[in-house]
Amino acid sequence: MSSAENKVEENYVELRHINKRFGDFQASRDVNLGVKKGRLVALLGSSGSGKTTILRMIAGLETPDSGEILIDGKVVNDVPGSERGIGFVFQSYALFRYMTVYDNIAFGLRVKKTSKAEIDDRVHELLKLINCEGLEKRYPSQLSGGQRQRVAFARALAPRPQLLLLDEPFAAIDAKIRLELRSWLREMITNLHITSIFVTHDQDEAIEVADDIIVTDHGGIEQIGSARELYTNPKTPFVAQFIGNSIVVNDYARFQFFHDVGEGTKAILRPEFIAVFKKGENKQFLSSAEEGLVEDVIFRGDSLEIRVRIHGFVLSATRSINDPMIEIGETVDVFVYRLFVIKGDTIELHDNESLKKESVVI
Amino acid sequence: MDIRKNTGALKWTLIIGCSIFLFVFLILPLAYIVVTALRQGVQAYWNAITDEYALKAAWLTIVATLWAVVVNTIFGLCAAWALTKFAFRGKKLISTFIDLPVTVSPIIAGLIYVLTFGRQSWLFPILDKFGIQIIFATPGIVLATVFVTFPFISRELIPVLTAQGNDEEEAAALMGAKTFTIFRKVTLPHIKWALLYGVVLCTARAMGEFGAVSVLSGHLRGKTNTLPLYIELLYQGYDFTGAFGASSVLVILAIIILALRVWLEKRGNKELDISK
Repeated sequence: MSSAENKVEENYVELRHINKRFGDFQASRDVNLGVKKGRLVALLGSSGSGKTTILRMIAGLETPDSGEILIDGKVVNDVPGSERGIGFVFQSYALFRYMTVYDNIAFGLRVKKTSKAEIDDRVHELLKLINCEGLEKRYPSQLSGGQRQRVAFARALAPRPQLLLLDEPFAAIDAKIRLELRSWLREMITNLHITSIFVTHDQDEAIEVADDIIVTDHGGIEQIGSARELYTNPKTPFVAQFIGNSIVVNDYARFQFFHDVGEGTKAILRPEFIAVFKKGENKQFLSSAEEGLVEDVIFRGDSLEIRVRIHGFVLSATRSINDPMIEIGETVDVFVYRLFVIKGDTIELHDNESLKKESVVI
Repeated sequence: MDIRKNTGALKWTLIIGCSIFLFVFLILPLAYIVVTALRQGVQAYWNAITDEYALKAAWLTIVATLWAVVVNTIFGLCAAWALTKFAFRGKKLISTFIDLPVTVSPIIAGLIYVLTFGRQSWLFPILDKFGIQIIFATPGIVLATVFVTFPFISRELIPVLTAQGNDEEEAAALMGAKTFTIFRKVTLPHIKWALLYGVVLCTARAMGEFGAVSVLSGHLRGKTNTLPLYIELLYQGYDFTGAFGASSVLVILAIIILALRVWLEKRGNKELDISK
């Protein structure tokens, strides 16, 4: 019993058996999750996977049909959002269009009847924090996308919330500034030690920014873990496919040195599981490599993506730009290190059997 | 491409066509009103528009218009708010009913009130007991005016509120703002121009209402005659100076409203840039 209580205390935010329907659409299906204090967590899923619904329920903008939401150990189902100690950053920022930057940031403080001097101090402190000093008299329409996002962030932080919720915080920003903002936000949240949950459909964003990632699909939670855990140890076929540039292959036993385990015939392959060598380039795996035909070579700036056809599948592999060039139409040696075999609802990692033998040789 | 090549001829044909049409059907009649009103001299004109009954009719028109604007502003705000910020059963039905006054002939609007509050209605004894007279009295005229201008304000507000979405209100609510504060600080600045525009349209329509008011008024000179009714009365009595003089007052008011409307549209568009 005491261990269970400890567990509750550890989680700053906890959802227990949450269900939510919108008409015929099941937005949340027995959602259970916990977020520890001070962590930066991503809710990752494709659109319609129920990630935003979870965030809005934590904020009190939606009410679950059943289940409990706990913040700081207390059930908050019946507590209005404004009393949950949260700051919310909307996807489109929802800045008050007819108020200046200053008034936007001050809004939450004015509502709470904070003194004028205190508001002024806090607003200037935040303007400095978000690098927007001197912009206080501007209207949101006069700001760049990145500035708007930072003002929305400051507005959410102004009343000193314990929990920050962000709905697709980077979705409305140009690709280039998005990268800057990502690291800025990550740095900011880490410095402030504020428990944060953000929603995203972009796995790169989740991997780069979040400490932990919660993968959602069809209203349910597929897996919770660090980016590394999700990569190396996916618990469900969905996660294995969703994370990384995965390719699903049927009948994987056609590849040499992978034997059919019986039940599953489908497997998931990622570029990092595959090595492509020029003929004669490879010494180590010579005996266990198979021949493939290069269909496409795509320049990625820092690397090359090689699309190679083998056993009727087109696989992707990356190659360093420092390696000898490979041309389209070339016959190459392909070596598959490992693959994920889909067995019903679970995933098994299978290594290339020749690896064991060869490692003995070396 | 063809339309570009023919620009010159097509453009001028259209412009001239429109101008002639406007001149014949609008400018000429309006000018004729002024000319007829002034035919017997400026003094006669002045006497006509400062006639006791003319002033009383003008006053009643203003009263009915103010009522219509106030009632429809309150109703319009409530209806637009309800229809855009909440999802509920029967939403479509309400939305359709709001437009009913525009599609129903004003004379029917007048008659339904006669039937509802007149002598044959079961409401009549109750109202009579309290000494409330609706038909052939000012309340009836106000009711008729409110009815015909019913959708003007809500119809202006609904698209603006729909386009705005609920995010800003949700953001304010999450920070602990009360409903009225949210309305005042977040929603109202957004709909301000649309609301004023609706008020202008409502005023214009209310001032000119003839049909419904005619049924309910009883045509008591100096008591239940609005300007449009008064004009008709004078016209029927062959008092052209009086009729056209009073008409010219309505025309001038209409032009003021038109100018207001243009100005509001300009201001509204300017603020739209901020709101983007």
